[in-house]
Amino acid sequence: MPDRGLTVFGIRHHGPGCARSLRAALERLEPDIVLVEGPPDAQEAIPLLADPEMRPPVALLIYPPERPQDAVYYPFTVFSPEWQALGYAIGRGIPARFIDLPQAIVLAERTRDQPSTMQGATPSDSEGAGIRPAGAGVGSELDPAVSLDTSSEGGAASEDAAPGTLEHPIGAAEPTGDDLLRQDPLEALALAAGYQDRELWWEHQVEQRQDAAGLFEAIMEAMAELRGCAPEPDVEEARREAYMRQAIRTARSEGFGRIAVICGAWHAPALADPGPAKSDLALLKGLPRIPVQATWIPWTNSRLSSRSGYGAGIASPGWYEHLWTVPDRTAIRWITQVARMLREQDLDASPAGVIEAVRTADTLAALRELPMPGIAELNEAVLSVLCHGNAAPMTLIRERLEIGERLGGVPEETPAVPLQRDLNAWQKRLRLPPSAEIKGLDLDLRKDTDRARSALLHRLALLSIPWGTQQRATGRATGTFHELWQIRWQPEFAVGLIEANIWGNTVDAAATAATRHHAQGAKELPALTEWLDRAILAELPGAIDYTLGCIGAVAAIAADVRHLMEALPPLARVARYGDVRGTQAARVVPVIDGLFERALVALPGACGSLDEDAAASMVSAIDATQESIGLLDRADQRQEWQGVLRLLTGRESIHGLVRGRACRLLLELRAIDEEELGRLARLALSPATPSAQAAAWMEGVLRGSGMLLLYQDAIWLALNRWLCDLDADGFVAVLPLLRRAFSGFQAPERRSMGEKARTLGYGDTPRAAGTVPDGPQLDRERAALVLPVLGRILGEKHR
Amino acid sequence: MSARITATPAIEAVVRQHAEQQYARELEELVAIDTRQRPPNWNLSPWAVQTYLLGGTLASGFAISAKYVGSERLMQIAIASLATDRALLLYGVPGTAKSWVSEHLAAAIAGDSTLMIQGTAGTDESAIRYGWNYARLLTEGPSPDALVVSPMMRAMQTGRLCRIEELTRISAEVQDTLITILSEKTLPVPELNTEVQARKGFNVIATANNRDKGVNELSSALMRRFNTVILPVPATIEEEVRIVDTRSASLGRALELPAEKPAIEEIRRVVTIFRELRDGVTLDGKTKLKSPSGTLSPAEAISVINNGMTMAAYYGDGTLRADDMAAGLSGAIVKDPIQDGVVWKEYLQTVVRERSGWKDLYRACTALL
Repeated sequence: MPDRGLTVFGIRHHGPGCARSLRAALERLEPDIVLVEGPPDAQEAIPLLADPEMRPPVALLIYPPERPQDAVYYPFTVFSPEWQALGYAIGRGIPARFIDLPQAIVLAERTRDQPSTMQGATPSDSEGAGIRPAGAGVGSELDPAVSLDTSSEGGAASEDAAPGTLEHPIGAAEPTGDDLLRQDPLEALALAAGYQDRELWWEHQVEQRQDAAGLFEAIMEAMAELRGCAPEPDVEEARREAYMRQAIRTARSEGFGRIAVICGAWHAPALADPGPAKSDLALLKGLPRIPVQATWIPWTNSRLSSRSGYGAGIASPGWYEHLWTVPDRTAIRWITQVARMLREQDLDASPAGVIEAVRTADTLAALRELPMPGIAELNEAVLSVLCHGNAAPMTLIRERLEIGERLGGVPEETPAVPLQRDLNAWQKRLRLPPSAEIKGLDLDLRKDTDRARSALLHRLALLSIPWGTQQRATGRATGTFHELWQIRWQPEFAVGLIEANIWGNTVDAAATAATRHHAQGAKELPALTEWLDRAILAELPGAIDYTLGCIGAVAAIAADVRHLMEALPPLARVARYGDVRGTQAARVVPVIDGLFERALVALPGACGSLDEDAAASMVSAIDATQESIGLLDRADQRQEWQGVLRLLTGRESIHGLVRGRACRLLLELRAIDEEELGRLARLALSPATPSAQAAAWMEGVLRGSGMLLLYQDAIWLALNRWLCDLDADGFVAVLPLLRRAFSGFQAPERRSMGEKARTLGYGDTPRAAGTVPDGPQLDRERAALVLPVLGRILGEKHR
Repeated sequence: MSARITATPAIEAVVRQHAEQQYARELEELVAIDTRQRPPNWNLSPWAVQTYLLGGTLASGFAISAKYVGSERLMQIAIASLATDRALLLYGVPGTAKSWVSEHLAAAIAGDSTLMIQGTAGTDESAIRYGWNYARLLTEGPSPDALVVSPMMRAMQTGRLCRIEELTRISAEVQDTLITILSEKTLPVPELNTEVQARKGFNVIATANNRDKGVNELSSALMRRFNTVILPVPATIEEEVRIVDTRSASLGRALELPAEKPAIEEIRRVVTIFRELRDGVTLDGKTKLKSPSGTLSPAEAISVINNGMTMAAYYGDGTLRADDMAAGLSGAIVKDPIQDGVVWKEYLQTVVRERSGWKDLYRACTALL
């Protein structure tokens, strides 16, 4: 190092090899102060790191209290070099300082650039989750998240990203053209070394290096060389480096003699020799600041991995942690761990298999000319030896071990999180203060405030913070505009808020992200429609759109046609009414079409060989479809639906209940007339049909509105003929079925049906009472009694 | 092994040459430059085997043709398995070049791809272990001369690779004879009170089909003794179209069909349908689909095209059209009339019908349902 008393360590964030080498180098150097490239705004949060309750992965969160959605995250794991450096300093009782350009300045710049940006609209940038959030440093970070960002953000991979929370406006350009070198210096080095994948290159060159001597000097030299060819740093990068140099000068003027600086490899050459302060001072002069807050929040391993799209760009945090924690024989220990995990899942993984897998991995590494097998070689060996080529367990290995899902923890005295602040703001705005008392709420959804209150409660419920429980409306008619709630704030919700903060910094964004996450995990249509319902209630357009997409995807492979059909009515309701909350109908219609087409194709096949219970649930699914068709009222759908129903009525092999129901629905759709129904009824109820099937058919026909049924004489006549033809034993046998078929009707309905049946036997008379106005059957005396009431109803004065 | 009845014909006159004959020149060139460490009894080092399979240009300027188009990593795993003397199982749907890879691996590593056991339902133990020449057995009693040596035994004696084709067609009892051979690397001959111990370099490459109906699943005891490499179907549609195009063109020539060479668009349509159904998602990734029970391998796509060309030549106007392909397509996709029928119908309704320019195919296929 050129400068006495100053040692600069250029590192890659989250590299266990780097962390190990750094720790060893610090032990050797014994500095009297450690300066880390990090936000000085969080200086006060550093001591919390030593708290026993602090369990990585955790993240530093810097946010302007007014605009929590602009927050910036700095994730740390146990194998982050920065974490190790800070830990070293605290352990030794020497000062540790963050020396990057404060976020107060960076965020002020952004706010000025984009004064009108509202939450969720800011451009995305993975760097926010990387250790260096400030935009201009992208390339300098040696942080792989950078390149993962543009491709995955907004794509399927980032669904659990919380929109509007992690995005940061960024000054840097897309990593193309001349910028490539600065954007991604590793790429340039890896390409020069003949690697396609710079991750792999870094892993082989640095992380797997057994002997760390000279590592940091080499990195410094390589970076100095690269910077020589790179274009001039842009303003933001220049400012950041100027600020860091200033911090080094300050430390020096305070009399520290052995200063250790830990920064991204790219910056290392710029900090090695601070030189005179004049130009730096000019650069930093008069920069505006805004107030910001800093706190620690728990983080997760999957958020560290690039899978989330905005993660810190470590593809395999679990593997890195393994590299960090085990002292030697990493491959053997790794595969043993895999085998144990497989055994827990009741999969066959013998110790002999472990031996063979290790040998294969070693041979593969030799074939690829690597010093030791990396995660790729280990995975391939496990796949081919332990999993017999079956890829399914590999997903498990990826989730459980390679990423190693884990939630960090922060001490209780950690300052409040932005989500809490956002909630406080909402509580104030909606005049809904948290209180430990149980309180009832009657919300009128036609009023804006009440609607917002309802949405807030629904959103919190989605975040597993059940502040309110919805009550069923009882007693007085409240109508669909009303929602009854009981609210009670419980102290443990505060913990829930800290945990929920991982989804986003505002209630809106967090609930959206959480719902998307759940929807992504749901594999069954009923569960998905429930999430859709909840998202609609919580008024989360982002989550609604996403859930609809999931429904479309799951529907395509759904094996159970009943699920398809039962999912239709809620969707149809959204499409038809758009609902009070203004969900876009256009988004729903294609999903409905997909569900509908699939249901039609699969329905006839699915109706074969059903037992009683299955037939009953099939009928309710068919009714659900009918309901959705009625709601949507589209001619093309009705046409196709009628075709399928006709098919169902005609198939002997289908359960009577289903066939009967199909007849009834066709009748309601006016697709068949009385005569046709009579023909079908005689067929279905003929003596050749087993009486149980006949009774089931009847039940299918009779279900639903009794009033409509009263006017279908053909049914009654066919029914009558069938009953009369039964012998005594047969009649007794069907009697319970018959009774059951009618049991669903209201008492008055049953009474009129009975009367109808009584008159059936007497020729053409049954409809006379209702339809012939002046026949001889009219009982004038009784009719006269009704007239006054009728006159009043019609508004006519009774004479 | 039985003695050859006729003299070996001249190499040029045979219908199909062995890999080590056809690519003799390439193997020689590789041996010449290969200075790397070789596992015992290997003709080439693992690096040279990799070059032989995947192709490349040698330092001498000699170009090695690519035998396998696809993932380099898979070939590396296959070679690494053989180098650790673990038996190799190449697994996959039909038409994914399993036997082809196995033949070339044997040719490159042992210089001999002819030690091969064809697995059928009729393969018995003597095909894998040894048999007897009964005439000699009766006259001379059990003696080494009366023994009929199987390819497996010969491979063990000479330290070469033995190939087993279609391992899953062999009945489970016979499959299990392999267990001793693979774990103990020895083949006892109790009748002679002796055994054959495998020399270094001996190993087994088996191929098996994981989608065909009526296969005998490998017992897990046997499965454990193999390293399994699954050969995937072609990664991109372009690759698959190219394979189907070249193969069907050459088959058409062999059968001397009067039909014109099929339009690449028709091939693309068939390959698209196959890929989409196989992967359970449309090529644009927007719509999920159910997959039928059949394999829908490139080999079947080739046969659909050929079938269509024949129809076009003899019953149509000589140009391959949707009508000529419809029957072949439905036949290839609908293997199980109930389940696959639903899948195919759904696909026609939700995907084919909506696709612009596919109306003819939709009509032709729905007419058959």
